[in-house]
Amino acid sequence: MNPSLAQVLQRPDIRRGDAFAVAPAPTLATGFARLDAELPGGGWPRGALTELLPEHSGIGEIGLLLPALAALTAAGQTVVLIAPPHGAHAPACAAAGIRLDCLRLVFPRRSRDALWAAVESLRCGGVTATLLWLDALFRGYLPANSLRRLHVAVGEGGGGAFCFRPPQLAAEASPAPLRLQLQAAGEQLRVKLLKRRGPPARQSILLDIARPAGFSQGVSHAVAGAALPDASDLRQRSRVAA
Amino acid sequence: MPAGDSPSGGRQTGIPVTQSDGRQSASLARTTAFPTPALACWAGRFTPQVNLAPAALRLEIAGSLRLFGGLPALLRMVREDLAAMDLAAQLAVAATPLAALWLARAGGTEAAICPDLPTTRAALAAVPLTALELVPPLARRLEGFGLRRIGDLLTLPRASLGARLGKPFVIDLARALGEIADPQTCFVFPERFEQGLELPAPVEAAPVLLFAARRLVAALAGWLAARNAAVRGIELRIDHGHGVTTSVPLAFSAPVHAATRIERVLKERLDTLVLSAPALALRLRVGHAEPREARSQALFDGAGQRHEALADLMDRLAARLGSQAVQGLACHADHRPELASRLSPDNPADKSAIKPPASAIPPRPLWLVDPPEALREFHGRPQRAGPLTLLAGPERIESGWWDGSDARRDYFIAVDSQARWLWIFRDPRPPGGWFLHGWFG
Repeated sequence: MNPSLAQVLQRPDIRRGDAFAVAPAPTLATGFARLDAELPGGGWPRGALTELLPEHSGIGEIGLLLPALAALTAAGQTVVLIAPPHGAHAPACAAAGIRLDCLRLVFPRRSRDALWAAVESLRCGGVTATLLWLDALFRGYLPANSLRRLHVAVGEGGGGAFCFRPPQLAAEASPAPLRLQLQAAGEQLRVKLLKRRGPPARQSILLDIARPAGFSQGVSHAVAGAALPDASDLRQRSRVAA
Repeated sequence: MPAGDSPSGGRQTGIPVTQSDGRQSASLARTTAFPTPALACWAGRFTPQVNLAPAALRLEIAGSLRLFGGLPALLRMVREDLAAMDLAAQLAVAATPLAALWLARAGGTEAAICPDLPTTRAALAAVPLTALELVPPLARRLEGFGLRRIGDLLTLPRASLGARLGKPFVIDLARALGEIADPQTCFVFPERFEQGLELPAPVEAAPVLLFAARRLVAALAGWLAARNAAVRGIELRIDHGHGVTTSVPLAFSAPVHAATRIERVLKERLDTLVLSAPALALRLRVGHAEPREARSQALFDGAGQRHEALADLMDRLAARLGSQAVQGLACHADHRPELASRLSPDNPADKSAIKPPASAIPPRPLWLVDPPEALREFHGRPQRAGPLTLLAGPERIESGWWDGSDARRDYFIAVDSQARWLWIFRDPRPPGGWFLHGWFG
């Protein structure tokens, strides 16, 4: 290659189509090497909105974020959950490595309050990651201009913003620079990069997220009590049926 | 800043400043009517030496100049505060308190800034004698002499002035000129802060109250600065007349002392407040002020700033959404899952409460469904959008016979047809049945 051309290509404002754009802000490591390799900057973006579209809730969408959240809270950084869909279970969070004193939950009742709380949290320099479940509070879906507001807000705050959204929106346009579609694949999680800063991802990635390990049969956790007499039989039956 | 007489029959407020080398500089403000103790409290932000002259406030700013980055910066902050409180005031800075008072009363299109004695004396020469607010007989006599300005007085021999106009007047003149000392009595900041103000007109919309409340908050911030204190909670009382009041308590997650932070939280609270009747007056009260903690560590890594930003965010969220809408999470030692996790008010004081249990527990779901959702059973297998596959279990949890909510359950980890991971249990006691209790997420 012509040396002067090579020099020009070194400039940060020139991007070649087959490479990642220069990440505008530092990132948060995802804890999954295969995912880091596919993300611009090598991790979850900071200062930009990330959309996560799980096929169904409960397939492991939080498991995807857990390593990053555990690392953040271990470092004393604050994570805010806005309008979580169910009650968070403290022992499970603690077992996943999340420091509970770094966790804040916000329960807005109206869509207007939810959006306001989300924008304020994203703009706050003291919050390193914000997880949002906003669509349920809106009739229909979160409007596109609200999503843009969120994106601008997180640009000011510089933290991570993870917006969980219904899977039907995969084909919709979005201001979020990173959009991931999540699908269950047995014990693993299939992550499809719908959109990223950089060349389109060719194939989806399979990630080994943390799954509840089976506990040994007959563990009596609380006051002594025998396991169900037909429990093993029942399990066998259900496996066979599956 | 609007100068001169205020349209609403305004009062004068002056501010003096002494310098450490014995020379004084003073600034005065002529303001619209405003309870002067509250204004004196506000002035505590700039200096602890505040003097309440008749209808004037005098601040000794010489000792504060370095802290605030010089006289222009200090004056800018004073002006900004006055503008934020919507107070029209005439400022003056002089080397002696009395000169500052006279200069401010004299008014003028722009503030007289005379930081040292020579400029003060020069400026005083042009001050009309009416600005001295002398007793009428004395004023008439001076007018009879044909004297209009202080400069006219200074050309006359001082001894004969004393003989004709009385010793006190000549002493005042000497004090203003810095020839003799002029000690001032300082305003004593009250032990407890409680200040109120009347609204010029009944206010029906709560957000509008913020504007008036700003004056009280500014007074509070000055009072806190003068006492080097911080507050965890304040109470705004809205008076509707006829003895009806609305109390608006504000709580902060950490002690605060800055006016901006108090104002931001107050704004969110007032934005959502609906007044039962028009408001006629406001009163701001502090129950308990605590000594301000020295700012420590975190000077270079910005952690202190982040911490403050976070506390500010949480206070504002709680003020707007209600204190129940912002929660932390804490573990609780109980085997029943619905009792093992508790929402705790923000900033749990007891750090041990958030510690996870020491012993390793079997897997628990991140989300708990409360109350548990009953599942259908078909051929002995739980169903939820198709049959569930049991992957692990059972885990027997049996507890709570002593407190009335006795639980006896066998928990299983299950996967449904859409590959969602569920935590379900079966109640072995009649009538039995399967229940969904959590999502692994």
